[in-house]
Amino acid sequence: MLSKRMGRRKFIKTISSTLLGITTPNILKVRSSLGKSEKVTNLEYRTLGKTGLKVTVVSMGVMNCSDPAVLLRAFDLGINFYDTADCYMHGRNEEMVGKAFEGKREKVFIQTKVHNHDEKKMRASVERSLQRLRTDYIDVLVWHGHSSPEEVSDLKLFEFMSMMKKEGKVRFTGFSAHRNMAPLLKEAAKSNLHDVALVSYNFTHSKDLKEAVALATQSGIGIVAMKTQAGGYKKEKMGGLSPHQAALKYILMDQNVSATVPGVTTIEQIEECAAVMGASFSKGDLSELKAYHSFLQGRICTMCGGCIGECHYGVFRSDLLRGVMYGDGYENNSLAKESLQMITRQDIQRCSECPSCSVICRRGLDIKEQIRMAKEIIVRSSESIVRS
Amino acid sequence: MFRRKVIILSILIGIFTWFEASSWAVPMEFLIPKKNTPEGWVLIEGPQTFTKKTLFEHINGQAELFFKYGFQKSVFAIYQNKKESRDQIELDIYDMGNVVQAFGIFSRFRNGDRSAGIGLDSCLDNHSVFFYKGKYFIMVYATESNPDVLRKFSKSVELKISDPSSLPKELNYFPKNELKSGSIQYFPEGLLGHQFLKRGFQGIYIEKVEVKAKDKVEVKDKVEEKNKAKTEIKEFKLFLAIFKDSQEATSALKTYKEDILKKGKVLSGGLIELRIKALKGEDPYQGKFIVLQKGFYLLGAVGFEKEEYAENLLAEFVKNVK
Repeated sequence: MLSKRMGRRKFIKTISSTLLGITTPNILKVRSSLGKSEKVTNLEYRTLGKTGLKVTVVSMGVMNCSDPAVLLRAFDLGINFYDTADCYMHGRNEEMVGKAFEGKREKVFIQTKVHNHDEKKMRASVERSLQRLRTDYIDVLVWHGHSSPEEVSDLKLFEFMSMMKKEGKVRFTGFSAHRNMAPLLKEAAKSNLHDVALVSYNFTHSKDLKEAVALATQSGIGIVAMKTQAGGYKKEKMGGLSPHQAALKYILMDQNVSATVPGVTTIEQIEECAAVMGASFSKGDLSELKAYHSFLQGRICTMCGGCIGECHYGVFRSDLLRGVMYGDGYENNSLAKESLQMITRQDIQRCSECPSCSVICRRGLDIKEQIRMAKEIIVRSSESIVRS
Repeated sequence: MFRRKVIILSILIGIFTWFEASSWAVPMEFLIPKKNTPEGWVLIEGPQTFTKKTLFEHINGQAELFFKYGFQKSVFAIYQNKKESRDQIELDIYDMGNVVQAFGIFSRFRNGDRSAGIGLDSCLDNHSVFFYKGKYFIMVYATESNPDVLRKFSKSVELKISDPSSLPKELNYFPKNELKSGSIQYFPEGLLGHQFLKRGFQGIYIEKVEVKAKDKVEVKDKVEEKNKAKTEIKEFKLFLAIFKDSQEATSALKTYKEDILKKGKVLSGGLIELRIKALKGEDPYQGKFIVLQKGFYLLGAVGFEKEEYAENLLAEFVKNVK
């Protein structure tokens, strides 16, 4: 199965460099990476937009962290910006951050989140966060999970954030987004209500998002990138490939990104990520990332939404790509079938034979190949139903 | 004729056995109370189903944590108080694949020992209750403080779940004496923050430590400082790392030693009582530690003050592990 994949990987590899858009030779400097357990000697800082905070470009997403020891190791490595949330583990995650950094509060910046409720509940949420974090101020407070431009420019939410700032409970405010990031950032750039935006941003994303990030940065918004590893596939599934450092370096090449917050679980992972600071994007990184991108090709749909509505007959849907990703990438047949359950055997047959397919993936997914694989899953699934 | 009867009987027994074994595997939507809700409460939204592809839409970034714990599918519903529309209850039921993973995610959410006697274990406060039963992890939130209604909703969900799985066996390995109630947690990876320890359980233990404190005492109009012994309550951890086989456990122990040699201090030693060779030393982030292998497990204590005390607990732990 793996060797079959590698065959396709090689094939797709030939086109992946164009898709990645990282072939410019003058940015390539071959340099050996730092040893895993060594302390970071080249701490790299950037200014977080109009907040003026000098944050380490590799910071830390605390949500998946399994033990306070990981936070202490990150602190020793020099990392100074930590992202948590009120809701992670019902507040236990904030408690871990508060306990780990007690006595070190002045040396770290803490970002946490609040959800949209009435003022009383939001205030109570901020108070609970302060208590759990064992502090009397939050450096950055972000709205959790905006998904529409209307939310980004909601003055009612902004009023609450301003109040928190005036009361000295919060220094800076912003929003987070897991999807639809480009329109949200463009709206934020116009509204001038936010200091920081925490957005999903990695090497698989489109040029459109890159431009939106630049626009937001120009307006003074500090960009914190999350989901920088594009899914974090396990090494075993990728024939030993470990592209995490390359993925981080790639996103840090975008100078509009102030900090990245890779979600780490262990000491080894934070050491691996921290070692990226001060290191250049090398030829080795490029080939790793190309291989990773190739691996993701045909497996991952980043939900950019670019293909929605392109099919004249309304047959091709984004579920189709997801179904293929689950079936072929995650090897989860039940999830694949579930994703494809709305597409009938007749529809996929028509789709695969369509002489005028107008659907194009801007990120280079081979749509015809995707349709073929989806058809295979749907046919297999309906045959097994008939048999049973 | 007789043969035919035997065949029919066998088929019926087979069907009955299969039905018994899989009766708990009902569609998740059935677990949502619809008509049999607590008095005065009505279902106003849902059941809404979330899969791996849509969980982000429901709980944002926290979905990642659920994926690590084997999330399969979830259902969500909202109930409303007939008298007060702002008074609502939100119910989430997560299928985590098996009882260990359901316990694991529960253990990351619960805060101490606030059991409400629901499911295999539960944690109740004024606004929320979490519990797990079989492969399901359940979260119930109330917009207004309402522990009684939370309890009633939880009970009605609990009754619908007939998954017969019992508590993860590893929970019984932990010595009960001095164990901080409700502190055992399960991690699917990165136990103690180390990649090489992979998955496993940890529990927090209480240790009383005598410390010398300077007390100010008034003696003949003068304030003098006197040394006085005080007892401080400290916490440390016992852990159980689980590996595929004993070879993998041996290799992890070797990596542990190498890691400590680089960053901390390694001392030789063993568990005197059991005459088991153990790795002892000092971890820069966890403090003093003892770790040893038993079959495909690594067991250990980290962050203690008195070695003898930790050793005794660890010895009991080793005996409990089957």
